[in-house]
Formats: sequence, C-alpha cells, structure tokens
Amino acid sequence: MNRRHALRHIALISGGLALIPSCDFSKEDILAAYQNLKITQSQKDLLGAVSDTIIPAGEIKGALNLEVHDFILVMVNDCFTKENQEKFTAGLTAFPDYVKESKGKKYTELSTKEKEQLILDAAKLEGDDSEEGKRKAAIAYFVNSTKRFTIQGYMASEYIQTEIIPYSLIPGEYNGAVLINDLQKPRING
Amino acid sequence: MANLNIRSKQERTYQAIVIGSGISGAWAAKELCDLGVKTLMLERGRNVEHVKDYPTTNMLPYEFPHRNQIPQDIQEANPVISRCYAFREDAMHFFVKDTDHPYVQEKPFDWIRGYQVGGKSLLWARQVQRWSDFDFDGPARDGFAVDWPIRYKDIEKWYSHVEKFAGVSGFKDGIPHLPDGEFLPGYELNVVEKYFAEQLKKHYGNDRHMISARCAHIHGNTEYYAQQGRAMCQNRNLCQRGCPFGGYFSSNSSTIPWALKTGNLTLRPDAVVHSIIYDEEKGKATGVRIIDRLTKETEEFYADVIFVNAAALNTNAILLNSTSNRFPNGLGNDNGLLGKYVAFHNYRARVSGEYEGHSEFTTSGGRPTSGYFPRFRNVYKQETDFLRGYAAGFSASRGVGPDTSGIGMDLKNSLLNPDKYGPWRVGSHMMGETIPKESNYVALDPNLKDEWGMPQLKISVDYDDNDEKMVKDYIEQMTEMFTKAGFTNIHSSDSKQAPGLDIHEMGGVRMGKDPKTSLLNANHQLHAVPNVYVTDGASMTSTSTQNPSLTYMAFAARAAHHAVAESKK
Repeated sequence: MNRRHALRHIALISGGLALIPSCDFSKEDILAAYQNLKITQSQKDLLGAVSDTIIPAGEIKGALNLEVHDFILVMVNDCFTKENQEKFTAGLTAFPDYVKESKGKKYTELSTKEKEQLILDAAKLEGDDSEEGKRKAAIAYFVNSTKRFTIQGYMASEYIQTEIIPYSLIPGEYNGAVLINDLQKPRING
Repeated sequence: MANLNIRSKQERTYQAIVIGSGISGAWAAKELCDLGVKTLMLERGRNVEHVKDYPTTNMLPYEFPHRNQIPQDIQEANPVISRCYAFREDAMHFFVKDTDHPYVQEKPFDWIRGYQVGGKSLLWARQVQRWSDFDFDGPARDGFAVDWPIRYKDIEKWYSHVEKFAGVSGFKDGIPHLPDGEFLPGYELNVVEKYFAEQLKKHYGNDRHMISARCAHIHGNTEYYAQQGRAMCQNRNLCQRGCPFGGYFSSNSSTIPWALKTGNLTLRPDAVVHSIIYDEEKGKATGVRIIDRLTKETEEFYADVIFVNAAALNTNAILLNSTSNRFPNGLGNDNGLLGKYVAFHNYRARVSGEYEGHSEFTTSGGRPTSGYFPRFRNVYKQETDFLRGYAAGFSASRGVGPDTSGIGMDLKNSLLNPDKYGPWRVGSHMMGETIPKESNYVALDPNLKDEWGMPQLKISVDYDDNDEKMVKDYIEQMTEMFTKAGFTNIHSSDSKQAPGLDIHEMGGVRMGKDPKTSLLNANHQLHAVPNVYVTDGASMTSTSTQNPSLTYMAFAARAAHHAVAESKK
C-alpha cells in the first residue's frame, strides 16, 4: 500500500491539487488514489458493502474488515485494460439504480438474504447490443469481477495468511503419493 | 565522447577478460581464477550480490500489491517481456524491459534478457540434461549445418566437473542418448508420473521414457556445498527471486563468490562492451573497449586472452561491432558467416489431459523439478519426414479447491475448508530441435542505435517446414501416448509463439572444423583470432533437444583450462 500512501502525500503537499482535474463542486470528489477510475467515496463504500456480502464477518473477520475493496480498486485501476475499467465503473455506477429497480430499496437497506440473492442474480445478467443490454452486461461484469477479487484479496490477505491459514515459505519435502484419507485438517468456522 | 582512460594502462591490464557474468561467463571466470589467472569480468548491468540484492526473496504473497500480477501499463509498454512466463511482480526487476533496450525484429522474435550480474542464471529453469553423441553426430549424419568438431568424449569429464560443483539432482536412468552424470539424490516422480512411465514401457517397450528431470538443485552432500555458502534446496519454488539458501545454481550464489574468494577476480558491473580491440601488428586481440552504463564514458581494458560470454545474441553483436582494417565485417569474420545459422528450441506445442485413476492420492510439499520425456524420434536412424526430434516436459498434479459458486457464509466456509479434489491434471510441452540455417541470422542495424550509441541488433529468425512437421508429430504422438495411458479430456495447442520465447537461442558464432565454414575451432577459439574464446550459446553448431545451459558451463570450463594450458606453452 506504499503507492497509496505516496499518492496521499502528494495530495497533501500539493494542497489537494491531485483532486482538481476531475473536480466539479456540484458533485462528489473523485478519489485520486485510483487515478484511472472515476470513483467517488460513496461508490467505494458501496463496493465495500458488496464485498461484505460476498465474504461477511463472522467468527473470523470478513472482507470489509480487511478493506478488500481497496485491493479490488487497486487491481481494477492497475491491472485492467482501459476497456475493462470502463465496463467495471459503468457497472458500479449503474448498480444503485439496479438495486432500486429490482428491490425498491437502497443496497444498505436490504437484509443479508436479499443482498445475497441480488448479487447472485446480478452475476447472471445477460447483455446484448442495446443500451439496456450493455448496462446489464456491465453490472454482471462489475459483480463477477468484484467477487473474483474479493476472494483473491481476502484469501491472500495478511490476516488469513498469518492468523487463519499460515502461509509457509518452506513447504517441505515432496511426497508424490499421499493418501487423501490420511489428511486430517481441523475445520475452520468462518 | 569523454575518455575515462585516466588510470595507467597497467592498472587496466589483466591476464584475462571475461565478457558477461551469466551462467557461462562466470564459469569461465571461476575456472580461470582457480588456476591463478588475474581475471576481469565485465557485466553490462548493475551488480546483484547474492542474498543482499534479492529484494523479494522472502516476501509473502500479500506483500505484492498486485499479488504477483504485472500491471497493465507495464504490460502494454513491454509486450515482448510480458510474454515470458517468469516476468511477474516478484522477479520483474531481473528482466530487461522492451522499452529500455530496443532491438529490430525483422521477423517476430521474443528476445528475453537479464542485464545484471548473474544474468539469466538467476532466472533459468535449472534443467540440466547432458547432450550425447546422438546430438553431436546430428549435423554430419543428417546433412545440415556443419559437423561439430568435438564429440561426447571431449566434453564428458567437463560435464562431471561442472555437475559436481553446481549440484545436480537426478537418477541414473541408463538412457544412451541422455547420459547419466554426477548426481545428487534425485527427486521422485509422483504416483501418476510413475504410472505414465510404466504405461510408456508397456506400450512402447524400451523406446520411450519418462524420468525425473535432472535439475541444478542441492539435494544432498550438504557439507560439500557449505564450502560455497550454499544449502539444501527448500522446495520453495521461488527461484526466480534469487534463492537465499543458494539452493539452486546461479552465478551469484556459486561461481562468482567462489572466484572472488580466490582474490583473482575483479568484477566490473555497468560496463557495456563496445568492442574487442584488435592489434593488427600483433595479430591478436589485446583488450576490450567499454562504455560506462551510467556515465556513458569510455574506458579500455587489456588482457592476453578474452572470453566472450555475453549470451548468444549479444556475443554476436559484440563481435559484429568489433571491426578493424583486418576484420571490417566483425572480429574473426573472414567467411561472412558471423551472425548466421542462428537456431533455437521449438516450444510451441502443449498437450494436456486429466486422469481419473489414482483418485485416492494427492501430493504434499514442494519440489523444484518435474518429469522429462527424452527424445525418441530419429535417435538411431532417420524414420520420419522431418529431421531430428523433440523432448518434452511432463508433470501430473492434483489440486484441491473450494466451491466458489456460493456467497456469504457458505462461500466463506468453503474457501476456508477447500475439499473439492478434481481429477489429476497431466500436461506436457515440447522442446524441439531446430535446424540452423543461413537465412536465420542476426546483424547490426545500420541506422538505429541504443542509449549508449551501440547499433541495435536486427533479428531475423523464423520457423520452417521441419518445425511445422515436428509440432504436428509431437501433438499426434503425445495425444496417442496420453490416450493409451487412459488419460481423458485430452487437449492440444500450438501457441505459434515467436522464436526466442524458448530462451534457448543459439548459434551465429558456430564451432566447426573448417575456418571457411565456421567461426570457432574445437577449443572454442576464433579460428582467425585464437586468443578470443566464445563458450556461450553463440558457439553452438546445432541445438540438440536438451536444455543447453549445462553444456555452456562445461564448454566454458573446458575452454578456460585450454586457454591456461596455451599460455604456458
């Protein structure tokens, strides 16, 4: 997260100049940390809420506790093609209206069950060449990318890899014929 | 251009100069230093000290901001290096980016380079299979290129010499065309790999083998390797980051520190070699002219003997740029063949499948190698409509994954308790010998220069009909073998990847018996300038199917001893 810190410093030093290029005072500020995306704080919060539906907190921490939504935005910002970034942000932008249309409420007002069903349904939306079809495709793309990165960011987090399923740099001698029945692993309750 | 030759000529004079610190250059330097020769090793890139300069070596997965993925802007700016399997966030700093060192692709060629002390020895796949007379006899028997001036008996003891020092794990498999060597205990194949080996025996008799690939990893005899400051391979499979244990062989972990300890080695990083200086009166090479990478100033170094080990294509570039009245077309290039007859390994095709059997088994731990399928085509006689043959890598693995279809607590518990064993997955990739041809060449571009004013290298290398037939045969044969073994869901693919991505480019300064048709003699000396030796990939007359690095090491050690013996005459 050093780059994030660096950008924050630049923003401070330059008196917030980093925000200005996309500043329209009638709207919310664009987050400068993800310079290839035009994402606002409330969109980031929504993404955090979606990631929390995908992997919620329980006996052990969930995606939102680990700020996996920051990781998602870093990946989309740095590792997606421009075309896919646009599709992702189009889907994220369209998502609140989609929630309203299908459930008549805001995302945060839904029950856990409703949220889960909404995400599963949205992931299966199919698009076509019409405006509405493109919108649906973008929503599905946004939800599926978010799910994939939530899983990756969560499982490859410091918390999981140190406290829950410790990662070993030294995996030990190879055994090429291990009986699966001999492997006993204690069950982890999420 | 500013001149840095302010130090006295004596201070810049050594007994030997080695150009390049990669796998072959460092071997030449190590042998020379062991024999008491004051040696200067020139490296165009920055210094990389063992352990100290491996910044990512102990990083945990979550410490990589993109979880080891290369960001899109870097990929788009550097399409060639981004195609290399090992160019990931953890080892990005050891690869040359396209934008930093441009070259001219007359035909598509993915030139994968590592410009630093240690070169690509930090990054190699560490596979070390010996060549045999079935390889060295190839050009003469099949009528291509020129006859190798050496045979297995000339190189056998040097294979043993470098294997012992580098540390090679393997089994004595008794295969005539894949000679056994000085092996540390091998790494066992897994249960499905062994099954495939048995199936091959059953269906093809003793013609087709599947063995554990010999690899340059320390797997025993730890006291001996402690002398080099190296320890057992820990099966981390993070080799490309540089190994803090020295578990695999690299110049950085082994030959360079060893040579430095003798007190005879001077290592000069950041030295971009401009050319080799030829003295017409003396009739020999007298030194090397460099450009400092950082200051861009020139400096000259002198020595009685010069080893050119800049990696295959850059060795060609240096010799081509070393012009004089005597050699207007490049050093030692009387016959005009310098830069020609470049070849490589054909890595285009893969075959994969699944195996439902042995479902009660999986694997645990890690290992640094996998299966190796030695060449079986045209070994004893010509039997197909293409020349030579191919080896193949083979491995079987079994993953266990979570069910990721759900959401919420179901998904979370599934992720934390993965228990969905799929079938065994089996995969193979071909490693085909290619035929060196005059039309596959490198040359200096007459106009384009790099940041140091050096002419850019123009590369014109392509596949031919022989390669196409070989791809087809590999896919047919491996598919048949997989089918006979009872594997299912068999898929084959031809990536059509450009030459170069195999990272086994060879030739251009080939060895041969006749100065009219080759550049180097049987001792790796330029026919026309015998105090210049070339022992890297550039010297190869043909390519075999086996990974070439071990042979470069053996060649370098052998040539170093030859040079010292010559100097005592």
